[in-house]
Amino acid sequence: MTHSKEPTRLNVSGTLRGVRRMLPLAAFTVAFGLAFGVAAVHQGLSQWEAMLMSTLMFSAPSQFAALDLWDAELPILAMAITTLAIHTRHTLMSAALYPWLQPLPRWQQFTTVGVLTDSNWAMAISEYHRGERNVGFLLGGGLALWVAWVLGTGIGLFFGGGITEPERYGLDVIMLCFLLVITVGSGPRRELYLSWAAAAASAMVAYWFLPPYLHVVVGALTGGLVATAHFRDADTEEKQ
Amino acid sequence: MIGTLIPQSLLAIGIMIAITYFSRASGLLIMSRIPIGPKVKRFVDAMSSSVLIAVITPMIIHGDGGARLAALVAGGVAIFLRSPLLAIALGMAVAALWRY
Repeated sequence: MTHSKEPTRLNVSGTLRGVRRMLPLAAFTVAFGLAFGVAAVHQGLSQWEAMLMSTLMFSAPSQFAALDLWDAELPILAMAITTLAIHTRHTLMSAALYPWLQPLPRWQQFTTVGVLTDSNWAMAISEYHRGERNVGFLLGGGLALWVAWVLGTGIGLFFGGGITEPERYGLDVIMLCFLLVITVGSGPRRELYLSWAAAAASAMVAYWFLPPYLHVVVGALTGGLVATAHFRDADTEEKQ
Repeated sequence: MIGTLIPQSLLAIGIMIAITYFSRASGLLIMSRIPIGPKVKRFVDAMSSSVLIAVITPMIIHGDGGARLAALVAGGVAIFLRSPLLAIALGMAVAALWRY
C-alpha cells in the first residue's frame, strides 16, 4: 500500500530481510529437523539417505510420511503418489506467486520456488499484498528455514544413533505426533471435518482389505473428492 | 534394523525430490498458460490434509496404548494451546510414561 510503485526485483538486502523475519520460526524448524533425524535413524535409514531427503526434498510432511512407508522392499510407487498428494498444494502456492515473480528472469523464478514452503509463502504473500516487491523476502525466508531444517536433521542423526531403546523414551511416536500436529495445529477447519472422516474411514478399509500401502492414496483421494462434492452442495444452497 | 539396497533407496528419494521440486515450480508453468479454478483449489486443499489423516489413522488404531495416548495429548495441545513443539514433547512424554 505504501510502495507499490516499486518494480519487482531480487537482491541481497531483500533476502536478508526475509532471513531476519523468519528467524523465530527457523528456531522451531531446527527442533523439527532434529525430530526427523532421530525418527530416520530409528526407522533404519542411513545418514546419507536422511540428509539427501532434508537437503533436496526440504519437506517435513513428505519426509515423515516417507519414513512411515519405509520398508525392506521400498514401495516406490506409493511413496511417489503420497509425496505428490502432499505436495500438490505447492502448485497452488507458486501459481499465486506467478504475478509477482513473472517479471524476473526465469532462472531466478525457478530457483526461488525451490525453497518454497507453507511458512515463507504465507509470510511473503501477505507482504506482497502490502506492497512488498522484493522477491528476496520470499527467498530469504525459505533459505532460513532450509538451513534450520538441514542443521536440525544433522543434529538428530548425530544423537539419534546413540539411543538403543527408542520406544522407552517415546521416540517412536515423534512421527505420529508431528503429522498429527501439522494436520490439526493450524486449527481444524469445519469444512474439512467430513473430508477427514471420509479419509480416515476409507484409509482403514483400504489398510485392512487392499494390498499394502494403498491406504494413503485411497484416503487422500477420498478426502479430496468428498470436499469437492460437499462444496458443490454448499454453493447450491447459497444460491437458493 | 532394515537393510535397504542402496540403488533402490536412491531411486525412491530421487523420485520424491523430483516431485517436490516439480510441485513447487509447476504453479508458475501452469499459470503462464491457464489460471487454476476454485474447484481444483478445493480438491487440492482437502487432499493435502486428508493424505496425512490417512497416514496417521492406522498408526493410532494399530498402535499400543502409549501411541494412542500420545496422539490424544499431542492433538489436544496442538488444537487448544497452539504450540506444536510442546504438543510433540508432551506426546512423547506420555508415551514414555505409559510404557514405564
